[in-house]
Amino acid sequence: MAQVPVQTIHRDPQLFYWILFPITIVMILTGVLRHYASVLMASAPKKLDQKTMREQRALLHGINVRSNYHVLSKSSFTARRDALITAYESGDYLKDPDARGQPPPNPMSDPSAMEGMMGMMKNQMAMIIPNTLIMSWINAFFSGYVIMKLPFPLTIKFKSMLQAGVATKDMDPRWMSSISWYFLCIFGLQPIFNFLLGSENAANQMAQQMTQMGPQAGQMFGPGVDPNKQFLAEAENLAVIEHHSVLDGVEQRLLEGIKV
Amino acid sequence: MPTEQELQISPIVQESLMHNSRILHNLQSLTASLFGVSAGILGLESYSGFLFYLVFSLLTAALFYAVRVAPTSLAAGKAPLDTSRYFKSPFEFWAGGLMNELAGFILTWTLFYGLVRA
Repeated sequence: MAQVPVQTIHRDPQLFYWILFPITIVMILTGVLRHYASVLMASAPKKLDQKTMREQRALLHGINVRSNYHVLSKSSFTARRDALITAYESGDYLKDPDARGQPPPNPMSDPSAMEGMMGMMKNQMAMIIPNTLIMSWINAFFSGYVIMKLPFPLTIKFKSMLQAGVATKDMDPRWMSSISWYFLCIFGLQPIFNFLLGSENAANQMAQQMTQMGPQAGQMFGPGVDPNKQFLAEAENLAVIEHHSVLDGVEQRLLEGIKV
Repeated sequence: MPTEQELQISPIVQESLMHNSRILHNLQSLTASLFGVSAGILGLESYSGFLFYLVFSLLTAALFYAVRVAPTSLAAGKAPLDTSRYFKSPFEFWAGGLMNELAGFILTWTLFYGLVRA
C-alpha cells in the first residue's frame, strides 16, 4: 500500500499575528465583558410587601419543619404541625384571603411576572448579540485562510465544518480555517475564564445554557401558582409525617460506642 | 447505602460537598489546559496526545488522592482508594474531569502545536 505523503502547506507566519491572536484575544475579552455585563445587569431582588413576604415565609416554614422534623422532640413537632396545619387550612397566611378558591390571574397581565421574563430576555440577548457580531466579523475579515493544523486526524466528514470558505478538494481535513478556531475557542475557553474570573463566572454561554436548563429556584413563588393550593398540599405533607427523633435510642448507641 | 435514620444522625452537608467538587473541578480544568500546552510543545500527534492526556489526568487524580484525601480518609477507617469521605461518587473523582475538560485540552494542544510546528 502506497504511503500517502504528508501534506505540507507553507503559510505566512504573519497569519498567527494577524488572525490567530486577534480572534483569541477578542474571544477572551468578550467573555470578560459578558461576565461583567451580566453582573451589572442583574436586577436586585424586588422588595416585597409584608403580606407577600409572610405568605412565602409561612410556606417555607412548613417545608423546613417537614424536612427537619427529626431534630425536634415529639411534643414540639406535634405542636408545630398542628399550628401550621390549622393556619394553612384556614388560610391565615394568605396574601388576600378573599381570593381563595378563585382561579389565579393570567400570568401575562401581572406586572411582576413580566420582570422575570425581561431578565431571561436580557440573558438571551447578552448571549446572542456578541456571538452573531463575532461570527460576522470573522466571516468578513478572515474567511478563506488556512491557519492551523490539528494535531489529530479526522474523517472527511469534518471537512465542510473545519474548512468553511476554503474550497480545496484534496486538502487534509486536519487543516483548519479561522472560523473553526472560533468554534474551538467557544468550547475550550472555559478553564481560562475560570482562572481569570473565578469559577462562578458568567462568561461562557455554554455553561450559562446548562444552568438555564436546570430547575429554577424562583419557580416556587412564580406567577400563576395558587398559594392556597400550595398551602393545602403542604398541610397534607405535614399531616402524613410519622415522627421519629434522632435521639431515639441514643443511650443504646452511646453505650455501643464506648469500649471498655 | 446508609438508611434514612443513619443519614439523619450524621447528615451529609450539601454545601461542603459542592465546595469539594468545585475545588476538584478547578484543579482539573487548570491542569487539562496545562497538559494541552505541554502536549503541543512536545509535538504529540493523534493517539499519543490523547494517551498523554489520559495518563496525566489519572496521575493528577492519584496525586490529589494521595496528598489531600488519603491522610484523613484512611485515618477515618475507609478502604484505600475510597473517596466517599469527601466526594459523592468515585467516578466523579477519578474520571469526571476526563470528559469535561477535554475541550480545554484540545484548544491549548492545537494552539501550541500550531505555534511550535508552524
